Amino acid sequence: MATTSPIKIGVVGEAVLLRNVGKPEALTVDGYRQRGGYKALEKALAMDPAAITETVKASGLRGRGGAGFPTGMKWSFVPKDPGKQKYLVVNADESEPGTFKDRVLMEHDPHQLIEGSAMCCRAVGASVCYIYIRGEYVEAGDILERAIADAYAKGVLGKDVLGSGFQLDMVVHRGAGAYICGEETGLLESLEGKRGQPRVKPPFPAVVGAFGMPTVINNVETLCCVPHILERGPEWFKAIGTDERNTGPKLYAVSGHVEKPGTYEVPIGITFHELLDLCGGVWKGRALKAFIPGGASAPVLLEKDRHIKLDFDTLAKAGTMLGSAAVMVMDETASMLQVAKRSAKFFNHESCGQCTPCREGTNWLEVLLTHASHGEATVQEVDLVPIVAKQIGGNSLCALGDAAAMGVGPILEKFRDEIVAEMKEAAARGPVHGPAAHGVAGRPTLPVLHGV
Amino acid sequence: MPIVTIDDRQVEVDAGTNLIEAALGVGVQIPHYCYHPRLTVVGQCRMCLVKVEGMPKLQAGCSTQVVKDGMVVRTDTPDVKEAQRAMMEFLLVNHPLDCPICDQAGECALQDYSFKHGMATSRARFEDKRVYSGRERIPLGPSVVLNMNRCIQCTRCVRFTAEVAGTGELGFLQRGARAEIGTFPGRELDNDLSTCVVDICPVGALTSTRFRFAERVWNLDKKPSLCTGCDNGCNVTLEHRRGDIKRYKPRYNPDVNDYWMCDYGRSTFERYAELPRMLVPRQIKEGQRVPVSWDEAVDSFHHRLRGRTEGATMFLGSGFLTTEEAYLLAKIADHLGTPHRAVWVGESKPFHIPNTHGGITARDAAPNRRGAELAGMAPREGGLDAARLLANGAGDAGVLVVADSDFGPGAHDPETVARLRRARVLVVLGWADTPLAQAADLTLPVATHAEKEGTFVNGQQRLQRFRRAFPSTGEALPLVEVLATVLKKLDPSWQPATAGEVFDHMAASVPAFHGLTWKHVPPTGVPMPEARAAVVG
Repeated sequence: MATTSPIKIGVVGEAVLLRNVGKPEALTVDGYRQRGGYKALEKALAMDPAAITETVKASGLRGRGGAGFPTGMKWSFVPKDPGKQKYLVVNADESEPGTFKDRVLMEHDPHQLIEGSAMCCRAVGASVCYIYIRGEYVEAGDILERAIADAYAKGVLGKDVLGSGFQLDMVVHRGAGAYICGEETGLLESLEGKRGQPRVKPPFPAVVGAFGMPTVINNVETLCCVPHILERGPEWFKAIGTDERNTGPKLYAVSGHVEKPGTYEVPIGITFHELLDLCGGVWKGRALKAFIPGGASAPVLLEKDRHIKLDFDTLAKAGTMLGSAAVMVMDETASMLQVAKRSAKFFNHESCGQCTPCREGTNWLEVLLTHASHGEATVQEVDLVPIVAKQIGGNSLCALGDAAAMGVGPILEKFRDEIVAEMKEAAARGPVHGPAAHGVAGRPTLPVLHGV
Repeated sequence: MPIVTIDDRQVEVDAGTNLIEAALGVGVQIPHYCYHPRLTVVGQCRMCLVKVEGMPKLQAGCSTQVVKDGMVVRTDTPDVKEAQRAMMEFLLVNHPLDCPICDQAGECALQDYSFKHGMATSRARFEDKRVYSGRERIPLGPSVVLNMNRCIQCTRCVRFTAEVAGTGELGFLQRGARAEIGTFPGRELDNDLSTCVVDICPVGALTSTRFRFAERVWNLDKKPSLCTGCDNGCNVTLEHRRGDIKRYKPRYNPDVNDYWMCDYGRSTFERYAELPRMLVPRQIKEGQRVPVSWDEAVDSFHHRLRGRTEGATMFLGSGFLTTEEAYLLAKIADHLGTPHRAVWVGESKPFHIPNTHGGITARDAAPNRRGAELAGMAPREGGLDAARLLANGAGDAGVLVVADSDFGPGAHDPETVARLRRARVLVVLGWADTPLAQAADLTLPVATHAEKEGTFVNGQQRLQRFRRAFPSTGEALPLVEVLATVLKKLDPSWQPATAGEVFDHMAASVPAFHGLTWKHVPPTGVPMPEARAAVVG
């Protein structure tokens, strides 16, 4: 069962998370075991559940999905009440533009995810695990489903996990292609069969989550770290990385103007410059103009920032974020106006429409930037873009509004003069005709799905 | 109970109270659109953002609860004001600003908050406004019209149908800036409470078929009143222009109709315009029905009651009588010593109005059968009840007094009218010139419930008082005034003349009303003493 994933893989040092890449035998329980798998789960099943959480806490593991929340702490928020149904929901909706790391993990090493998930379930007392995977990941979903079926057949899942008496069911749930369903409460709504839109927090999912029950929601990569932490100890994990708060191996999905785009496993905290070298540098021998360190919702950084460490705290200090560690590289020819416009278009398209600032603000951003890219905006309107972005940021119901604000606003702030000049050039070329010339008016809309 | 400090003022609230409600306790209004006390909190409109000490970001007042002592909230800091201004700007970027042709203008939360929290200029281009083509006037059902261009996507209406009406016809469709409200395919918004979505819509997106383009709201005079459609006794605000009622809107009463009322109730005032009105007293003289003066009419009424007409004197009341009117009619009947007195009411469709105690369900198609009967209009021993009286009892009547002329379908049914006409003398009091009134020997024009004051006792045994909204039409007088005058002629010792005086007299002499006084009936009513005793017991 070889996978057809076209994503290039790179590793610095020991491959931990990606150790089974290129080993098709790891797709089966037996093959995965031969390569050392499920030992950590056996160990965990023999442990006190609270000790699993403590071990994860001690490792300093922080969520790999975007927010970087300490994983062990998240698990410890789940009420200990043994009578209550609890859930683990694996967030495999990986839809942050530029992100393709979880896909690699699921396509090459599904049992690593199953093992990590089972350990989390054991730790928090969940008996059901849902893997919410984005609908576009057809093959990854298929691979996971086959792996889960195999795991049931071999006694890794089901009524009696590895003979321990622990019961665990695991279900793959495919999304229908919405960025907002990667937001944890939007995901829960979608999982429950409702319209995928975020919930008001609090209550947080750890207390009231899927189907009203305590729920842990973790990213795929986060859970994939867990078996290694249990097997090799938190100290080993902590030794990798920048400092106490930025630990472990990390996958970086590098795309854009580089020679070798791909998913790279390196110790967290590698500098951008080093990562760029791994990718063969900026393509076609061109110079670097800018890069986005953590997916489309992370504020852009400039060439002068190239020696920044790509970890949670260093990037936060620089006013941006590690996010999903999707590094997007732009060479000297990149049009920052087009980058901003494309980004705004994405967030506008993906806004659920629930809250005012995100619904109206992202749309306005796209309208303004569309005018600008046609050379039809005034300079005041260009300057309005970061203002609108600021009005969205911090005021929206969920993080999508913040993402749009951070993804678009700083581009305009940092490349303002360049963008104004580009707009004036476009204006000199003459007016643009066509549906896009008037903002959203001509844009096709999603069809209303008539129920069957 | 935790104490919260809001804008330097402290208030003690129940744990779990949200900041919007808590702020009202210190007289601070936090602006909001999507929040409604009876609907799920969704935190969508982001208009209620406030500063909570210790929190890095502004917090939504609707979804932030006071759970323990020491919370410090500010609703007036520069960043709160900036957020409010920003939300107003966002809400108006795509709003058509068609206030001059919008029914909501004058009672629109967008207008009010724009004035208070918004900015005077727009930074968006008018030609960029989003247009929901073909969605400007969509009838969602028989009572509600949607203009999607005006919608601010607060989803109050969606939540209302799902959570209060329980019918769930509405959904939030599409997403992002294209998100819209609509009915699910193959369904229409058609339930007993559907017009409530118009009330709770903070903007002009949902308008009432009945009220659409009927009147600019600033021309309306508003008076607290009661719906007369059934015995639920929904509290309403009666809104009229110079005596022409334009609409009823539900008036908040947590123990009765909460924030709601039914579509049927909203239509009931239309009867005042549908039926011809009796404008002057009329009497048959020499075979002709001719207008007479009030003095003559009252004298005539008095003489007929006192006269030695063969047969019994009978009184047929209706569930539309106020308690005071019923008391006076019963007093007159007492004075004449007749046991024949009855209240006719039709059966209502079981309109259900949800409230925090589970709700109320209609039984009678009139507001005050209970009050009228308690006041003395229930048949006395040997007296005919309403059904027997209507069936054939009137044939034994010397004088039959019917109040009112539109007591029910019978007043319009030739056979029933003919049966009632078998009385030797037929006196009809009422506001509508019905076939029954046409058949009477003497007709006295009286005020509609909008033109008088009084009390009703609803199906929950709750006494509620309503006020006069505007003066009577033509020569019509409040029935209390007419009956008090007649009673005084029968019994010179009789003093009470106004509804209030009659009520207090009744409260002193009828055990069911003991302890109540006209002045102290609160605006949202009071349980009847017996009902209260039953609750306590």
